[in-house]
Amino acid sequence: MPLTYLDWAATAPVSPEVLEEYLRTARDYPGNPSSLHQAGKAARTALEDARMRLAGLLGCRAERIVYTSGGTESDGLVLLSLFRRPSPGSLVVSSIEHPAVYEQAAVLERLGWKVRRVDPGPDGRVDPGAVADACGPDTVLAAVMAVNNETGAVQPLEGIRRALDEAARGGRRIRLHTDAVQALGKIPFRPEAAGADSAAFSAHKVRGPRGVGALYLRSSLEPLAAGGGQEGGARSGTENLPGILAFGSAAAAAVSSLEESLPRARSLSDRLLEHVRDIPDARPVPECRTPGDDRYSPWILSLSLPGLPGETAVRVLSDAGFAVSTGSACSSSRRKRRVLEAMGVPEVLAFASIRVSLGPTTTASEIDAFAQTLRDAYLRFRT
Amino acid sequence: METLYLIKPGELELKTGNLREFESRLRKDIERRLDGRARVDIRPGRFFLRVPEGLEEKAERVLSRVPGIVGYARARTCGKTMPEIGVLALEVAREGREAGHSTFKVEARRADKGFPLDSYGLARELGGLILENVPGLTVDVRKPQFTVYVEIRERAYVHGVVRKGQKGLPAGSAGKGLLLLSGGIDSPVAGYLMAKRGLSLEAVYFNAYPYTSREAWEKVRDLARIVARYAGDMTLHTLSFTEIQTAIKRGSPEDCTTLFLRAAMVRAAHLLAGEIGANSLVTGESLGQVASQTAENIRFSQAQTDLPVFRPLIGIDKEDTMRTAREIGTYEVSILPYEDCCVLFSPEHPILRARPDREGPAYVSLGLEDLIVEAVRTREILKVPCEV
Repeated sequence: MPLTYLDWAATAPVSPEVLEEYLRTARDYPGNPSSLHQAGKAARTALEDARMRLAGLLGCRAERIVYTSGGTESDGLVLLSLFRRPSPGSLVVSSIEHPAVYEQAAVLERLGWKVRRVDPGPDGRVDPGAVADACGPDTVLAAVMAVNNETGAVQPLEGIRRALDEAARGGRRIRLHTDAVQALGKIPFRPEAAGADSAAFSAHKVRGPRGVGALYLRSSLEPLAAGGGQEGGARSGTENLPGILAFGSAAAAAVSSLEESLPRARSLSDRLLEHVRDIPDARPVPECRTPGDDRYSPWILSLSLPGLPGETAVRVLSDAGFAVSTGSACSSSRRKRRVLEAMGVPEVLAFASIRVSLGPTTTASEIDAFAQTLRDAYLRFRT
Repeated sequence: METLYLIKPGELELKTGNLREFESRLRKDIERRLDGRARVDIRPGRFFLRVPEGLEEKAERVLSRVPGIVGYARARTCGKTMPEIGVLALEVAREGREAGHSTFKVEARRADKGFPLDSYGLARELGGLILENVPGLTVDVRKPQFTVYVEIRERAYVHGVVRKGQKGLPAGSAGKGLLLLSGGIDSPVAGYLMAKRGLSLEAVYFNAYPYTSREAWEKVRDLARIVARYAGDMTLHTLSFTEIQTAIKRGSPEDCTTLFLRAAMVRAAHLLAGEIGANSLVTGESLGQVASQTAENIRFSQAQTDLPVFRPLIGIDKEDTMRTAREIGTYEVSILPYEDCCVLFSPEHPILRARPDREGPAYVSLGLEDLIVEAVRTREILKVPCEV
């Protein structure tokens, strides 16, 4: 059965051109960028060219970019570097962060850092004032993602930046880290315009290869893990050159086509929202999300089918040829869905929610077929 | 070179009327598990298994798992003369010494009363021989570190360490039971225990896909495979219970869903048992283990069958069940996270004391019989061979 892939937020199928680029550059650049011979220099030049191009897409200087193995490592680099401080302080994280931030913060907490968690409003967005209120005199960092990976809620980073600056009142700047994995190539995003001091990116969410990502750094960082001092000392280890070059192509393709792809994605997600409204009892999460609402990324849409566990819906849809995902588990321990719970979504709705995420190749007829299958599955299996 | 195993059968000695049948079942079971590549000789009170070279490890796994054996040992055999017996006794003693032991005793048994030395005399002679010839060994008749066993039968047999068997009765000697198998810790243990009481087993699993995952079914299949190592060849019947579960969920008071589901399962098992010729059902129920496993609730589901329902864990502590599960190897599979019942169907506060006069009519009014018959008819059947 052909699979209609609607799980692009989990990972995006690598595009053929990008894969070709990966294979070509893996062949053409055998050298280590740190080596002094010809092959090394060629690799170094290719690496720095790629860095420059990615910086161009992000609107920053090339030396602000550090290549990593992906979003999780980028987040971890920033959070773990806090351990290089002489004594523990405090940090503020939103309670809807990706585990790469949320769980890393919990590790810091266990090792003596104070962590304050800020819940979003019912719309899934974090209020800048609430972030500022959570900051104390010892707060050195706040982490709020750019786009939430479950609801698609776009976070008001500029407002958070301003609120943090006001909270600091001319004192030491409170750094703002943002996990921008679901923003790059999906919505217009520039870390400096957003007021971020650091931002994490991942290649495989924009049809690049897995295992490569990047970190924007406004100022240099002392990493916890030491080594050969590559990437300006921030991230040691031989660079994944073919991955980095392929990432560059994938990011360029995604960012340069935004003008066309974003309105298309918007019309597709609006279409899906309309379909969902036609299914009795089905609803978007959060319920206030309406067609055309640009507080949400059009690429990600959560919906709830009360009475049909999300996990069951995923199985039924998978059997019918549609790939979607859920964060919930149909388990006797009634495992919580942290993000939806933080938004105050009632458990019956959270338990019954699925995430649909679109990509650049998603079509209107796929959305229509999906909605029809969803309706049938709901009628048949709701309890 | 063949290896000889001396086997002590279990409670067979207690049986007079059907001893032959029991012996023959055990013999055939052992031979079948070894794919017919080894031969069992039945002697009074002892079995002897002759295993071709290379098959020893497998034979020992079989002997340690097959129901109906108290113990077994690698044995040596020779003619009934003291010089021959002495040579073998010294071999066994040297092995004990090499294994790091320093105290021993000889235990002799003279089944052939024509042999000139009595058991005591035999033990004394061989003990002396060993003391003279194997340096570093002393006799300790109370707590020896190892024992040299000598049995004088139609031939002489000498062996050292006796390994434990599963005890119990030969598989199938009590007929066939139908095990209600879930992915939990209890039901595989219940099946194992009843297999040791001589039941051959088939198993039934109630599948609620898509409310439960494919992995949950695979887990049950893997559990059946482990139980089959002990019980012998099994058959796993998978019944689709999805429609029955949703019918119960839609048509029952919330606190009764588990109660009614269990009743439907017992009913389905009853019908299936009739088809496959099972004389009993086996469940992992343990009194009070979960809120709903009360005498009243068990009575309610029990009413769906007139077959005996064997519940070997009914009075067993969970910890002891878990220990057995670890010993037989089902525990690690049982604790995998795939649930075999979706929380949707598990009421937060299940009914604790069902009453036939009150809950009975509500259950009957669900009209599940046709769905249950259909679930039995359309079941998936998987052979689960005993893999050694």
